[in-house]
Amino acid sequence: MKIIEKIKTNKSIDNQTEIQKICLDKLQSTPLPNLKSEQWRLSNKSKLSDFLDYSVNEKDPKFDTPFPKTSQSTIRLVIGENCQINLIKENFAIKQLSEDQLVKYIKEQISCFDQNENWSDLLNLSLNCAKNTLGLKISGSEIPPIEIFSHASSNTLNAKTLVICLEKDCDIDLLQVNLGKDNSSLSQSTFFFLEENSSLNHGVVSYGENKSNLLNSLNVIQQKNSEYNLGSLHYKFSYARFEIRIKQSEGNAKTNIKGMQISKKDEQISTYTKIDFNGPNGFLDQINKSLADDKSHAIFEGSIIVPKIAQKTNASQLSRNLLLSNLTQIDTKPQLEIIADDVKCKHGATISQLNEEELFYMRTRGITLTEASKLQLSSYFQEIISFIPVSKDRWDLLDILLNEN
Amino acid sequence: MVNENLVKDVVKEPYKYGFVTDIETEKIAKGLNEDIIKLISQKKEEPKYLLDFRLKAFKKWQKMKEPDWAGLGYKQIDYQDIIYYSAPKQKEKISSLDEVDPKLLETFDKLGIPLTEQKKLTNVAVDAVFDSVSIATTFREELAEHGVIFCSISEAVKNHSDLIEKYLGTVVPASDNYFAALNSAVFSDGSFVYIPKGVTCPMDLSSYFRINSGDSGQFERTLIIAEESSSVSYLEGCTAPMFDTNTLHAAVVELIALDDASIKYSTVQNWYAGDEEGIGGIFNFVTKRGKCLGKRSKISWSQVETGSAITWKYPSCLLLGEESVGEFYSVALTNNLQQADTGTKMIHIGPKTKSTIVSKGISAGNSINSYRGLVKMGTKAKGSRNYSQCDSMLIGDQASANTFPYIKSQQPNSEIEHEASTCRISEDQLFYLQSRGIEFEEAVSMMVSGFCRDVFNQLPMEFAAEADKLLALKLEGSVG
Amino acid sequence: MQSKMKESDPILEVENLYASTDNLPILKGVSLTVYPGEIHAIMGRNGCGKSTLSKIIAGHPSYNITNGDIKFLGENINSLEPEERAQSGIFLGFQYPIEIPGVSNLEFLRVSTNARRKFLNKEELDTFDFEELVKEKLEIVKMDHAFLSRSVNQGFSGGEKKRNEILQMALLEPKIAILDETDSGLDIDALRIVASGIKKISNAQTGIILITHYQRLLDEIEPHYVHVMSDGQIIKTGESDLALELEKKGYEWTDNFIKEN
Repeated sequence: MKIIEKIKTNKSIDNQTEIQKICLDKLQSTPLPNLKSEQWRLSNKSKLSDFLDYSVNEKDPKFDTPFPKTSQSTIRLVIGENCQINLIKENFAIKQLSEDQLVKYIKEQISCFDQNENWSDLLNLSLNCAKNTLGLKISGSEIPPIEIFSHASSNTLNAKTLVICLEKDCDIDLLQVNLGKDNSSLSQSTFFFLEENSSLNHGVVSYGENKSNLLNSLNVIQQKNSEYNLGSLHYKFSYARFEIRIKQSEGNAKTNIKGMQISKKDEQISTYTKIDFNGPNGFLDQINKSLADDKSHAIFEGSIIVPKIAQKTNASQLSRNLLLSNLTQIDTKPQLEIIADDVKCKHGATISQLNEEELFYMRTRGITLTEASKLQLSSYFQEIISFIPVSKDRWDLLDILLNEN
Repeated sequence: MVNENLVKDVVKEPYKYGFVTDIETEKIAKGLNEDIIKLISQKKEEPKYLLDFRLKAFKKWQKMKEPDWAGLGYKQIDYQDIIYYSAPKQKEKISSLDEVDPKLLETFDKLGIPLTEQKKLTNVAVDAVFDSVSIATTFREELAEHGVIFCSISEAVKNHSDLIEKYLGTVVPASDNYFAALNSAVFSDGSFVYIPKGVTCPMDLSSYFRINSGDSGQFERTLIIAEESSSVSYLEGCTAPMFDTNTLHAAVVELIALDDASIKYSTVQNWYAGDEEGIGGIFNFVTKRGKCLGKRSKISWSQVETGSAITWKYPSCLLLGEESVGEFYSVALTNNLQQADTGTKMIHIGPKTKSTIVSKGISAGNSINSYRGLVKMGTKAKGSRNYSQCDSMLIGDQASANTFPYIKSQQPNSEIEHEASTCRISEDQLFYLQSRGIEFEEAVSMMVSGFCRDVFNQLPMEFAAEADKLLALKLEGSVG
Repeated sequence: MQSKMKESDPILEVENLYASTDNLPILKGVSLTVYPGEIHAIMGRNGCGKSTLSKIIAGHPSYNITNGDIKFLGENINSLEPEERAQSGIFLGFQYPIEIPGVSNLEFLRVSTNARRKFLNKEELDTFDFEELVKEKLEIVKMDHAFLSRSVNQGFSGGEKKRNEILQMALLEPKIAILDETDSGLDIDALRIVASGIKKISNAQTGIILITHYQRLLDEIEPHYVHVMSDGQIIKTGESDLALELEKKGYEWTDNFIKEN
């Protein structure tokens, strides 16, 4: 059944909200993304159709968070479990966004949507209902770290939406965890508004299971003097697509992105990023690493757009890829589009396997090939993992990865 | 801040090759259909296989769509409003240069490419192409002594038909792209080079393309074959008069290198770029590709692109032979409303193949300068390597520089490395040079030529000096 | 004295070794035997094959042995992995020590030391005990503790890299150490530190092969034997005065030697 039909005939999705109507309307004119376009041409078509194949009947399975909560101060929220939070403390406040505010924020985003580029968001918002949307407004200082879980249930296509507005001068650590289940599809769209002088350390850990799929999109608008740091890790998905769109709306903002994607078997994992500098003095430091093995396919496409208004932008983007098997395929395309002259922009890309001279050096010191490879991989992962906030204190992601690779 | 006006002045230098030669020409009617193609083929007294090749290409072309993927804006080309064959009228068969119309010789003299026995360049053999036909080729006897064939492609069709039939269209098939198909249907002339086994070509070979008519397109075709263990360096130059209409130039160049052969192909492209408002200028849509067929063969492209209103050009290498080498060295300068979309494709198919890409883009005025490239490691390209470096220099805040490298690998035992950066001429550097007594404009031109040094070093001597001068001229007044 | 050494069994025997890389022959019949307590110097021009010889003894995967044997303590090691050779006591000091970004020097040293200790049936050291050991060994090469917290060789100066090599040698306590141009890129003070480090680590049970261009390292560590290599072969063997003669007469002198031969 076509996705539009599924949505329309589904009773558990309350086709009432304004947002849903607008998005469904737009989705109807593009029921599928343009598979010939730059953003989608490398996407595995059969995997994308698998993604859409599951029923959108929203069951409500019980969700056991798989990771222990070790620190009492951490705030843990699970989207879809009617999570309510209203914390007003001396130093800070975490409040639920009202329906009106939510509509206002999302509508603002939709107004600059590109049908094709934001297709994942259109799908997400068309599918979604109030229950699976979490909207927060955060202000103040000394805010405890926040963890937000999104999960899919087996044989279902689930959509979860997160909207967060960080008020002026606010500073938080936030970890998003996206969990796939056997034979499932998860659509996760996230919208962040960073007001002046705010700072967000954001982590995204997406961890799939057998035959799970993920469309994960992240839209960030940064006002001036804000700082956005993202550390991300995606692995174990049959099909995962991570889209990052960042707009420094007035320039004068800082963005740091460190991403890691791991693909094995016949998995396809892709990362698309678009960084738009809409004012002067913007800063970007981005590195995307991939590790691809077996018959998997890893994709990175990054674009940096520096219009005339964005003088004195300083942007750097690096794509590093490890290709470990004869049957693996890696595509990478870092792009620069620049109109301003007084800017410093650079990008780079490498595809290779583990460095043989380094391996030999370690082996001449008695370290076995397996161990030497592990040491190399660990340093390869470490740079990214250590950038993911909140998680590092409690799950040893690095150990998990090393044991699996 | 760098003074805008000074920048503009530097770029304003008038195009010095913009004159028109007043000569009686033979032109066929405008438009494109099977009859026109038959007429071209008939005028050139071609064998049947070539006419078939043209007609087949034409059929394919009719089914194809003009590409718009490069995101370049230009006025729709009316392919029925172009003259596909234009030749200066002269005696049927010319036996020596003395019989060439003096006006033509004078034209090439003015362009700095004297052809006559007394004045010809001493170390370069030249094939001079005027609109659709080759006028003269110098040093033919000397080259023939070494077994080197250097002549116009029309002559080669007559005298070396076996080679043409064997190789034409094997590197760039007629169906490759819209403009290659068009060229395959209507190509009029161009150069042919054959270097026999074991021969190092005793001198540089050069073709000089001159578009004179305002309403005819230029569709030349070049084919270079280097047999086992041979080597050749080939230079290509181009200019056109100033017209306020756009002229289409859709060339195809095919290179074939067999075992241990090496071909170096250098271009200085200075077609008329149009005026400051973007009126007129050449649309330069060419397909250049080399096939490293043999083991340890090498194809090296170097180019200095300064002209044309719009350029689409991706000189590429198919690296089939084990340990074959592909190189691409490019300087592209755009100014005013010029648009250049250039780069290369390095397709690694055989094992232990190597490629190097060095691209320098300089954009001034309101121009758009893009690098677009593809590096691909196929499943059998074990032990292969690529290194790419793409640098852009921006002059003025209206110019745009884009970098689109596509990188694809299916071979773990290979390495790809790509680096790109953007810079501008810094005030500190300028000040430093000026404080040592160097004039402003000279300082700018020194910095630009420093920026391009890695590429200029790859050009043959005569070209390197010319390229340097050309850039300085083009940029005069564009930096302040 | 030397005859006494030879009473014991040799540490390393290279017998008529031929080797190539990418089908290009590099070694063309090299023979060399090292007994405990001996110091050998191998000299020769760039490209003569001396660095290749060291890499092949250490087991570099890019080279193929096409003929001949390498024996270590009487056992053929031709097919051993590099790490097995290292664990059993073969040490290669690199001419250009490899930088390994992201891998901490301390962790690297500990893992490799423990690999060797495990082979020797010694107790493996935990981080704490290992730090104690390293502190002691750092003295030998006069290195600061701060080096341990940096990535392996990354951002080290030429001298620091070479001292890090000698530190590794001190930790691994090899039976034989092949030091490939350990003197290159060192100023005179660093050279003295490195040389005295080598002397402190070596003893009557160990063998040392110094690969070098110049006399100056041999002024600090006097070799028992000097071998001159050219085009993949050892073309002349002598005692320490051969090195002096070579220094005086230059490598052209050895060219004549080949012609005479």
